[in-house]
Amino acid sequence: MSEANAAAMAAATLSTPSKGRRIKAGTVFDHLILILGALFMIVPLIMVFQMTTVPDVEVIKTGPSFKIGDQLDDNFNKAMFEASGFSGKNTGTNMLLNSFILGIGFAVGKIVIGMMAAYAIVYFRLRFATLAFWVIFTTLLLPLEVRILPSYEVVQRLGMLNTYQGLIIPLIASATATFFFRQYFRSVPEELVEAARIDGAGPVKFFVDILVPLSKTMIAAMFIIMFVYGWNQYLWPTMITTEEDMFTLVRGIKQITQVMEGNRIPEYGRANLLAIIAIIPPVFVVIFFQSWFVKGLTESDK
Amino acid sequence: MKRAGFATKWLPILLLVPQLTIIAVFFYWPAAHAVQSSFYLQDPFGFGSSFVGFDNYSDLMDNREYRRIAWFTVIFTVLVTFFSLAIALLLAVKADKVIRGAKSYRTLIMWVYAVAPPVAGFIGLILFNQSWGPLTRLIGQFGHQFTLGVNYTDTAFAMVLVSVWKQVPVNFIFFLSGLQSIPKSVREAALIDNRSASGRFWDVTFPLLAPTGFFLLIINITYALFDTFGVIDTLVKGEPGNNPMTLVYKVYVDGFRGNDLGGSSAQSVILMILVLALTVFQFRMLERRIHYT
Amino acid sequence: MKRFTLAAAAASLLSGAAYAETEITLWHAMGGALGETVNAIAEDFNASQDAYKITPVFKGTYEETLTAGIAAFRAGEQPNILQVFDAGAATVIGAKGATVAVEDLLKESGTGFDIEDYISGVRYFYADSDGKMIGMPFNSSSPVMYYNVNALEAAGVTPPKTWEEFQTVTAPALKDAGYVGLSQSHLPWIFTENFMSRHNLPFATNDNGYDGVDGTKILVNNDAIKNHFKAVTDWQDKGFFQWFGTGWGDNQTPFEEGKVAIWLGSSGSFGGLSKKDLPFEFSATYLPYWEAVTKEPKQTFIGGASLFAMAGKSAEENKATAAFFEFLTKPETQFFWHKETGYVPVTEAAYELAKKEGHYEAMPAAEIGIKQLSLPAGAHTKGYRMGFYVQIRDVMNREYGRILTGETDVDAAFANIEKEANGLLERFAKTQK
Repeated sequence: MSEANAAAMAAATLSTPSKGRRIKAGTVFDHLILILGALFMIVPLIMVFQMTTVPDVEVIKTGPSFKIGDQLDDNFNKAMFEASGFSGKNTGTNMLLNSFILGIGFAVGKIVIGMMAAYAIVYFRLRFATLAFWVIFTTLLLPLEVRILPSYEVVQRLGMLNTYQGLIIPLIASATATFFFRQYFRSVPEELVEAARIDGAGPVKFFVDILVPLSKTMIAAMFIIMFVYGWNQYLWPTMITTEEDMFTLVRGIKQITQVMEGNRIPEYGRANLLAIIAIIPPVFVVIFFQSWFVKGLTESDK
Repeated sequence: MKRAGFATKWLPILLLVPQLTIIAVFFYWPAAHAVQSSFYLQDPFGFGSSFVGFDNYSDLMDNREYRRIAWFTVIFTVLVTFFSLAIALLLAVKADKVIRGAKSYRTLIMWVYAVAPPVAGFIGLILFNQSWGPLTRLIGQFGHQFTLGVNYTDTAFAMVLVSVWKQVPVNFIFFLSGLQSIPKSVREAALIDNRSASGRFWDVTFPLLAPTGFFLLIINITYALFDTFGVIDTLVKGEPGNNPMTLVYKVYVDGFRGNDLGGSSAQSVILMILVLALTVFQFRMLERRIHYT
Repeated sequence: MKRFTLAAAAASLLSGAAYAETEITLWHAMGGALGETVNAIAEDFNASQDAYKITPVFKGTYEETLTAGIAAFRAGEQPNILQVFDAGAATVIGAKGATVAVEDLLKESGTGFDIEDYISGVRYFYADSDGKMIGMPFNSSSPVMYYNVNALEAAGVTPPKTWEEFQTVTAPALKDAGYVGLSQSHLPWIFTENFMSRHNLPFATNDNGYDGVDGTKILVNNDAIKNHFKAVTDWQDKGFFQWFGTGWGDNQTPFEEGKVAIWLGSSGSFGGLSKKDLPFEFSATYLPYWEAVTKEPKQTFIGGASLFAMAGKSAEENKATAAFFEFLTKPETQFFWHKETGYVPVTEAAYELAKKEGHYEAMPAAEIGIKQLSLPAGAHTKGYRMGFYVQIRDVMNREYGRILTGETDVDAAFANIEKEANGLLERFAKTQK
């Protein structure tokens, strides 16, 4: 948008007499809202970070403050390299790795399976298509939490406790990705398929060479959502893993903050720092994939 | 189905097999199990059980507390969905408009998206700590003694605020991409046609954002209903007490925490039916919209 | 196939001969520093002999640990030892085939068992109606009264022995000295369950539920406790008492900040309080009682959790479990646990050792929990056994919260607790058939 446009828009927003002041007032107002919004979002995180730099005893007494203490190094070492369990295997680095595997495995699995199913539903004439469609979409919104106990038994019967498969696959069993890809594919112009057929491209070729590249933005959007969703799981990983080398970050954080009957001083510093560390990888995923779909998401949705 | 579809017979089946297998094994099997359990009262270890018919359902319907929770869930979902979308839309519109610092705003607003729900709840506990919480103090300045975990309304407010805080960024990212994908020509045309900025927004921008909006609506309702579980669990410190809670949290409280398999299964089944109805409804809405846009 | 199996068997025999270590697991709910103490005990056990190796696994909250254990049991993947908390006792003890009674386990392994070795307050809480110990008391605590010594001195009062003394003498003086008299951290535990045992009142029919689930009814809707809660609301109005929510820490913090002069918490909180470097001197004493209800106050119930040996394990593994239990009850181990965490030592021998080591000379308050558990027992003080008790506590918490925020009155709240709790007990009875 050009300066002139902005000026005109701002001019239209407010009806103050002087033109020069009008531009300024409108822009200032926009910035004000954005600054407030940014503060609303980021200040709590800064506060958490501050709390990682002061000793835990102090945090308990006074809460967050403006003081930057000297505990950051110490907390970082504890958070990343010191295990909080018995086996010595659930260090921050190891939990980080597990969270990555869960996040990526979940996102990739869901996207691949969802795209395949959506492709089948949208682009093929199937007799039982409607049935398949409803069988799949019934699962759309119901999360694992409400069927967690029977799911555990199923996973156990399949011998998948304490495995990455057991961690990831049951989480994939809902059709959100399939649903969104179906919506997306339906908005892809039909001429494309016809053109492909005229060119002699088969369904596999069409899918791999045309549809997948075309869906790049949708894939990116899905990846962000699914990666963060998988990364942030708590209850299911707690159920399904008993070996400490399988623990994920979010679970590790909960473990540290949980103190019974006021028995000891909770390690706030360590937990808070792990919380900050746990934010960083998903943020990078968002930043990285954002450039993919920043231009196209809705354009192709139309 | 598309008219221009492929006619191959075996390929679509092959494509559907992974999805169908996974949901059969990890969705329908456990779900069928839940339906069955909802007609029994059984010892959690699996030793004893009695068939009780629809007793688990009627016990729920007669329970005043359950009705209060259902009502709270509705209000909570509406509030969280509305405010997450509204704030994000406002910020996205402004971020789309300004030139200077647009990128910094975007990056700053985005960070919170990655916060895990239990961690967001934990941050809420800090903000609303009864003795030194910054927000408790701030609200105290206005003469209200805010007590998280004591006052029902205060606790509900904290739940909504933390849940909205965590959800604004994802909506913001999607709205912003939606806005930036509106072609320049459209904007310029609108500028000429429509003198007022708000008129331009409602007449031109908003309809163009509708597909993104519907997409986000589903995401947000799902989030408010289910993914806020971690926020609620942390904010009530694992003790339901006299605090507000959502239906999913209630399933957890009775089933996972209290080992009442029959009662919680009946609740799961009720949730499944509600969610199914909601899905069908959203589908119809979405389907219509997509056709006309 | 056959050859393979034989080879595998041979290999395992060979390795067994060379390295006969039986591995067992313990699932527990001890987070943070408590978990580290559990780990230290496990390491000591592993280092103390070559035959067995135990691995403790943290499974989340008490509720998460129990549920994970149940799910695992149903799937045949249960740990050898499961930590179950007081409110889950009815569930785990009711499921007869799920556990091996600790008494049987120790007798069979030749370790020997005498219930009289345990201090009187912990003996029967996790026992069946015949007095056979099923779960091994592990982290046992009891509600005690902590007080701010400086505050009480400033107000010119001594710690109250009775609630009558509290409301007529202690609290008004504390209020004049600028303090809120009282807060407490767990209404169902301190002001309900232990209210019953301290005053030796029956808590449920069928001998507090020990004699079976059929027809068990809660006896919570009685005048003694209703009058107590009416007094509490009265104290609240007068500024003698404040309630900060259902969360444990919310009620402890104002005491630590010196705002509240007396706090009812767990004897297990002692370790944490002494590490926090409080700006005042604190001490502890017995839980007060109503003289109007009883002239002879009794011992309290234990809180915390106990360890259950899960059924379905090999004799070899059960021997390892027995060996670990034996190690755990050794006076030295118990004293270490007591010293580190503030939980009470569960055996008389360990208590004697702690006394001999002079543990209570420097900190007399550390002894209060165990002394209170060793007070005379009454007909209704051995414990209670009610199913779906987690939900019953939730109902109590909810109704108490409503009383204290003025949403309901005491009579209505207790009528509601009685109705809902009895409904839950009836439902639970059906699960046991």
